[in-house]
Amino acid sequence: MKIFGINLAGPVREEVERFLASNGLKLEKDVEYTAVAVCREEIVGTCSFAGNVVKCFAVRPDWQGAGIAAQLLTHISDILFSKGITETFIFTKPENGQLFSGLGYRSVAATPQVILLEGGTANIGRYINEMVREAGINGTEKAAIVMNCNPFTLGHRYLIETAARENEQVIVFVVEENRSCFSFTQRLNLVRQGTADLTNVIVIPGGRYIISANTFPTYFLKDRQISVYQELDALIFARYLAPAFNIRIRYVGTEPHCQVTNNYVEALQKILPSYGVKVCLVERVKSKGECISASRVRQLYEKCHWEELRDLLPPCTYDFLRNYPNPGSQANQAD
Amino acid sequence: MDIKHPAKAGSLESNDIYVMVEPSSEEGIVLELDSIVMRQFGRHIEAAIKETVTKLGIDNIRIVAKDRGALDFTIKARVETAVKRALEE
Repeated sequence: MKIFGINLAGPVREEVERFLASNGLKLEKDVEYTAVAVCREEIVGTCSFAGNVVKCFAVRPDWQGAGIAAQLLTHISDILFSKGITETFIFTKPENGQLFSGLGYRSVAATPQVILLEGGTANIGRYINEMVREAGINGTEKAAIVMNCNPFTLGHRYLIETAARENEQVIVFVVEENRSCFSFTQRLNLVRQGTADLTNVIVIPGGRYIISANTFPTYFLKDRQISVYQELDALIFARYLAPAFNIRIRYVGTEPHCQVTNNYVEALQKILPSYGVKVCLVERVKSKGECISASRVRQLYEKCHWEELRDLLPPCTYDFLRNYPNPGSQANQAD
Repeated sequence: MDIKHPAKAGSLESNDIYVMVEPSSEEGIVLELDSIVMRQFGRHIEAAIKETVTKLGIDNIRIVAKDRGALDFTIKARVETAVKRALEE
């Protein structure tokens, strides 16, 4: 039996897709690397990764128990390690947890529908202690907000202001994954600039364990089971982040038209209070009768509606966007 | 002496151990071990890893090891290889 990486642009891809399909799985679109275990020219197992998430893993039932899983995971870990990715994660069904925990993966949190395991050098307790240390915060009771801020709007500012008025100290976690229009660094800097006057607000990177509604893996999107994932996110927040930072209340902006966000709020309300963390819903601030949202800002920005944007954005974001290249603005200049 | 960059050795296969080492922000030898025989041999494996690292003259290091029932000499060989790789330029 041989284990090797395949060319994802080549014909073997289809074979892997068929193999996964026969095991009730799909080769997800974001996969960057796929390894196969091949015996007598037949695929008997496969494993892939996207970023630091190990996924699309299957071993043919009649080959299970022969150590193929261990070989595949070693191969994938080696490749990840050679790319400088030493901390890895697996999202899977709880019944598969046992298999991976026998292969060096540790359970971070599990809901009845999903389990998150970490492998490589990842260690949530250690990681979060490091976050607390880097933030340089004290033990005061805190309020927390998790935001993507893609980009930072007056709506975000309003939510932060509200929390800052009602609490001694507020921590804003900016979602770290770079799947947004604006890069993480750009988003983080704008939030920091736009809240610099609020002395009891600390803005820090969300880190690896805040997943947020914007970054749920495709695995669950495919099954329309985002809510499953949201519960996991809420559980991790309640169990690890809240006690480490001494967070007693989490602020969330309402989003009347977004089912995903509503479900997320429901998950937070279901899980956080049992860990001693309150959930405070703040109604979205409006501009000319319409809620201010980052998606609305992005639409207006594409069309270069600067006058309207001025009402929705703090000066820092407005100035940033004016100096930021965008296909829409170029088209506009050409006109 | 301190290691320069992350490195690893070994495998996740049965009777082997996957040893990852990286420079540590903390003082001393920080070891995180997962083993399928943690209850029976956890302390023994930890001692074997720490002894190997100390013998190699390493002062500060973070070691994460995933053990699948490796024997002593395997453990020592894997640790030594990982550390030596981590010392290479």
